[in-house]
Amino acid sequence: MKSEEIIIYRQKKRLRNIFIFLILLIMVIWSVDVTIVEDTDWERMGSLSDVLSSAGRFIGIDFSLFPDLIVPSIETFMISILGTFVGVIICIPATWFGAKNITPFKPLTYPLGRLLMTLSRSIHEIVWALFFVAVFGLGALSGICAIAVRSVGFIAKMSSEAIEDIDVGPIEAIRSAGGNGFQILIYAIIPQVIPQILGVIIFEWEINIRRSAILGLVGAGGLGLVFFRQMNTFNFHGVTSVIISILGIIVIGEFVSHKMRKRVI
Amino acid sequence: MAEKQKKDWSRIKYPDSYISLGIWISILLFLTYSIEYLEIPLDRLVGMLQRMGYTLANRYYPPDLEYIADLDYMEYVLETIQMAYLGSLFGLIITLPLGWLGAFNLTPSRRFVYPVARLVTMGFRAVHEMIWAIIFVSILGFGMLPGVLALTFFCAGFASKLLAEEIESVDMGPVEAMRATGANLFQVMIFGVLPQVRVALTGIAIYTWDVAFRAATVVGFFGAGGMGWYLKRNVLQIETERVSAILVSIIILVLISEFFSAIARERVMKMK
Repeated sequence: MKSEEIIIYRQKKRLRNIFIFLILLIMVIWSVDVTIVEDTDWERMGSLSDVLSSAGRFIGIDFSLFPDLIVPSIETFMISILGTFVGVIICIPATWFGAKNITPFKPLTYPLGRLLMTLSRSIHEIVWALFFVAVFGLGALSGICAIAVRSVGFIAKMSSEAIEDIDVGPIEAIRSAGGNGFQILIYAIIPQVIPQILGVIIFEWEINIRRSAILGLVGAGGLGLVFFRQMNTFNFHGVTSVIISILGIIVIGEFVSHKMRKRVI
Repeated sequence: MAEKQKKDWSRIKYPDSYISLGIWISILLFLTYSIEYLEIPLDRLVGMLQRMGYTLANRYYPPDLEYIADLDYMEYVLETIQMAYLGSLFGLIITLPLGWLGAFNLTPSRRFVYPVARLVTMGFRAVHEMIWAIIFVSILGFGMLPGVLALTFFCAGFASKLLAEEIESVDMGPVEAMRATGANLFQVMIFGVLPQVRVALTGIAIYTWDVAFRAATVVGFFGAGGMGWYLKRNVLQIETERVSAILVSIIILVLISEFFSAIARERVMKMK
């Protein structure tokens, strides 16, 4: 009896798996049909050689553009750093509220902190930039605010998770020695989590370089503005050089963040 | 004697304390210099919260919910979901070989294949999804195909990095055992490595879906299909109440998708 039950169980499991795979396959076919087959304007795209020739427009570098790219590159770099910095400042209350074990008033502040994190993560940086451009006007300030608000979600989430996992021994030791809440925060909690949080911040900064490179598309300064201009004047070789300079900044950023993370951890 | 004992205990000792002070001062100097360089109007910061509150309350506040309760809009939402689904699926299909070739311990050739795979991964990841979308729109024309391709490249970029890191931390025992019995590269990969990274791969897939869906909501901003096009149209028409309604719908959709991925993640944790 026992072995038969196992066989029946396995057959059922197999049937279920086949069923799930069939559903997934049907979903894939349906999505491909709707998005790729029906929605694409095949006539405008033309044959494969047409596509290749229009892709070929991007091959080639406009070297004369590079001197004009230095200032926007530095701007992009600075926007990312300032944005991360402001984001870290906004993060402090969000982390404090969102960490389950140190939140000041659990039923109210914990959901509030979580809501802040989700809100900041679920809205794309382009949308944030649009909003801040509407508030502050064009310029780097809107880009900085957009990046700051967008990076709150990730940093606060990771740091509050780090705080939730800490060792409670030092906290109890300081409390039994008569330390107040603030002293506990400074001498027991922060030293335990600072390497992790710094690692998260550096990682987020690396992502923020990438983000600040496109915020110019909606008028928030940096390399995106140059990209937009080159695209609109159909200078495709210039587009390639902008992309190359974005890659350059990101490589520098990745190198710096790698060194810094090695030193921190 | 009593005065000598007065010397306070400090958490950071003598030479380090000056170094950390120097680092802090240089960071502050750099920040002030960049504020100067970017010509940020600091006087605008004074009324910042007030102005933000004003803009939100007067222009964005009553979200035009009737506008998004429309059947046409629902169709666009569905298209966005399909686009994210296909993008993350194709991205994961590219990820499997790319993550393998880019893992230092199991790559077929450390000198040639590994750097190339790493470079491709970095190239995919370094270019923002919006730039991919713009480029594909200019090559392939408007529609959802460029959106799917942009999401594919974007997902392939970070998923292969995560997968490569996961493969690098794999237990080499089974791999060496299989090599000793004469298994070739593919057999090692399929029977020695994949079972070890299966759970992590599922986690990566869920994360990819999360990120892809968030990106898919705005990829249409530059003509690549989905809800982004609605957003762009209303932003250009300065229909701020409709924009806020669309944003509300995006947040709700992201929350729903996060809810499902949280359930999926819990099931994956049980699988471990």
